[in-house]
Amino acid sequence: MFEIQFASLGEFFSMGNYAFNVWSVYALFALFFVINIYFPLVRRKQILKEQKRRLLLNAEAEESRTGSS
Amino acid sequence: MWTWFHQLGSPKWFYELTGRWLPWLVAAMSLLLLVGIVWALLFVPPDYQQGNTIRIMYIHVPFASISLAFFPLMAIAGTVTLVWKIKLADMIAKTAAPLGAWFTALALASGSIWGSDIWGTWWIWDGRLTSMLLQLFLLIGVISLRSALEDTDAAAKACAVLSIVGCINVFVIKYSVDWWNTLHQPASPITTSGEGPNGPEIWVPLVIMIFAIYLFFAVALILSTRNEILQRERRAQWVQDLVRTA
Repeated sequence: MFEIQFASLGEFFSMGNYAFNVWSVYALFALFFVINIYFPLVRRKQILKEQKRRLLLNAEAEESRTGSS
Repeated sequence: MWTWFHQLGSPKWFYELTGRWLPWLVAAMSLLLLVGIVWALLFVPPDYQQGNTIRIMYIHVPFASISLAFFPLMAIAGTVTLVWKIKLADMIAKTAAPLGAWFTALALASGSIWGSDIWGTWWIWDGRLTSMLLQLFLLIGVISLRSALEDTDAAAKACAVLSIVGCINVFVIKYSVDWWNTLHQPASPITTSGEGPNGPEIWVPLVIMIFAIYLFFAVALILSTRNEILQRERRAQWVQDLVRTA
């Protein structure tokens, strides 16, 4: 059951003449994986930054309003 | 029971709970993915007819089977939205649609690349392939419907109804291989003894990959839903506190 099916690294990469099929599917999977984990994390940073800015702006506006009255 | 139900529907509760779960889910996902991919690429014996393209199965089958879960998930979330008006359900439904489109697209693309050599064609209007393509279009339809409606509540209701109706297609996909006998094969029987064609050396890594991709689905869905919560609940005190300390 646990026997490596390839005799050499070259054989592994060539996948018995199916290199294109096998590797492109695994590459698509890797791309897909990165997109769906990485993008939500980037988006989260953006959201937090945006909302922090808005809170600060609101607090400033509040301060200047109460300060002038 | 009802307090539990409403607690479950509270975005804050969901946010805190998933915050505690995420590290464990990510750890389990990484471990299973590593084991599954190494096993699929190195240890699975080449198929006697398909050679090394059998390794494509370990990506194709998990994605294809899990992509069938999206419409039922969105329909359940949609029903909860329509009946109990629980906001969290709609947030999950909203983030599930694009993720489902990705899953369906990857199932179609990997199948197409697999078929390009083994079937000798990239595409055929076979029952399974056509109904999967329809699911992709339906998901794009749900996404477009939501972005077309500015009112959040109206969008939630419209998408809920479309998701419930769209569930019909899941049955068509599931049974297409039995109803129309063309190129796509029906599900293979598995055997536990060493005698059958599909012994444990074939299906054990497949089961590992299915669990790994399920965990990936959970992690990706949770990450996007948490973003959605932060945006929609931005006026809530707990989100503002969280934003200040971030």
